[in-house]
Amino acid sequence: MIMAENKAKSEEKTSCLDTIARNPLYVGLAIGILAAFVQVLLISAGGPEAYGFCVACHTRDVVNVAVNDIAGTKLAVAAISQNAILPVMTVIGVLIGAFVSARYYQEFRKKAGSAVSYIWYLAGGIFFMIFALFMGGCPYRIGLRIGYGDVVALIGVIAIIIGVLVGIKIATAMAEREG
Amino acid sequence: MAAAGWLTKDVAVIAVPIVTLFLGLLIGWLAQRSGFCSIGGFRDFFMFKHTRLLYGYMALILGAFAGYLVFWLITPAAFENFFWILHKGLMPVPGAPASLTVAAYVILAVIGGIAVGLIGVLLGGCPLRQYVMTSEGNLKSLWFVVGMCIGAVVFTMWVSGWGVALLKAAGIA
Repeated sequence: MIMAENKAKSEEKTSCLDTIARNPLYVGLAIGILAAFVQVLLISAGGPEAYGFCVACHTRDVVNVAVNDIAGTKLAVAAISQNAILPVMTVIGVLIGAFVSARYYQEFRKKAGSAVSYIWYLAGGIFFMIFALFMGGCPYRIGLRIGYGDVVALIGVIAIIIGVLVGIKIATAMAEREG
Repeated sequence: MAAAGWLTKDVAVIAVPIVTLFLGLLIGWLAQRSGFCSIGGFRDFFMFKHTRLLYGYMALILGAFAGYLVFWLITPAAFENFFWILHKGLMPVPGAPASLTVAAYVILAVIGGIAVGLIGVLLGGCPLRQYVMTSEGNLKSLWFVVGMCIGAVVFTMWVSGWGVALLKAAGIA
C-alpha cells in the first residue's frame, strides 16, 4: 500500500536524471568511476591508493584531524588528509547532499526511537567503526580495493557475506521469539 | 617516486577538501534517491532474492575497476600499483594497521568483515545508509554516526595497538 503510494508519487515528478539516480545499478557505477576519478585528480596530495570513497576511513580522518586540532593529540590519519589543508570532506558532503535531496523530494521525516535503541545504535556504531578499520575500510572501500586488484579485500567481502547470513539468522530467531 | 595525478601537489593539497566535498554531495544525493546500501544488498538477496541493491554494489566494483583501468591508461603515474596483485602479491592496499604479515591481514579482514556484516544487518544498514538515514531525519541512525565518530578515536588511540600486540603475541603478525 505504502509502496504503491510512493510509486505514484515518484511517477509524478520523474525526470530522466532522477530515473538514473533512483537506480542503484547506475549509482554504484557512478560511485566506482568517481572514486577512480578522485584518485587521478588528487593522488599527488598523498595516498593511500583506492581511497576515493570510504565512509569509515573518511569519517576517521575528519574526526581524528578535528581531535588533533582541538586536543593537540597526534592521532594517525591517511596521508592525503594529513597533507591537505583540510581532511577529506566526503562524509560531510554525503550528510548535506542526502539532506538536501530528502528535503527537495519531501522525504524528510523525523523518526525517533526509544532510549534503549539509541544505546544499541551508539554501541553498534562504535563497534562497526572499530571492526571496519581493522578490515581496512567500510564495504565501499573494500569494493574499490577489489576493483584495484586486492585479494584480501575479496576475502573481506566473503567475510561480510558470512556476517550478513549470521545476522539474518539472529534477526529471524529474535523475530520468531517475539512474534 | 611519489604518485603524480592531474593536479600538482601544491594545488592538490588545497583541492582535497573541495573536491571530496562535492563528491560527497553527489553521492549523498544519489544514495538518498536510490536507497543505495552494500550490506542491504546482501541482506535483500539472501532474505527475499531481491537483486536491486546487490547489483548496485556489484556495479560499484565493476565501475571502480573500469574507472581505474581507463584513468590508469591515461595517467599511469596516479595508479602506481594498479593492478595491485601483480605488484604487491597478496599484501592488501594500505589502510588497516600498518606493516603486518599477509596472514594477520587475512585474519583481520575475516574478523572485521563478519562483525561489519553482522552489525550492519542487525541495525539496518551499512555506514553510507546510516548517514543518509540520518539526513532523512532518523535519530537512531544519528546515534550510529555519533558512535562511528567515537569508535574512530577509540580505535586509533587504543584498539589498533591492542589488536597488533595480540597478533604479535600469537606469533602471526
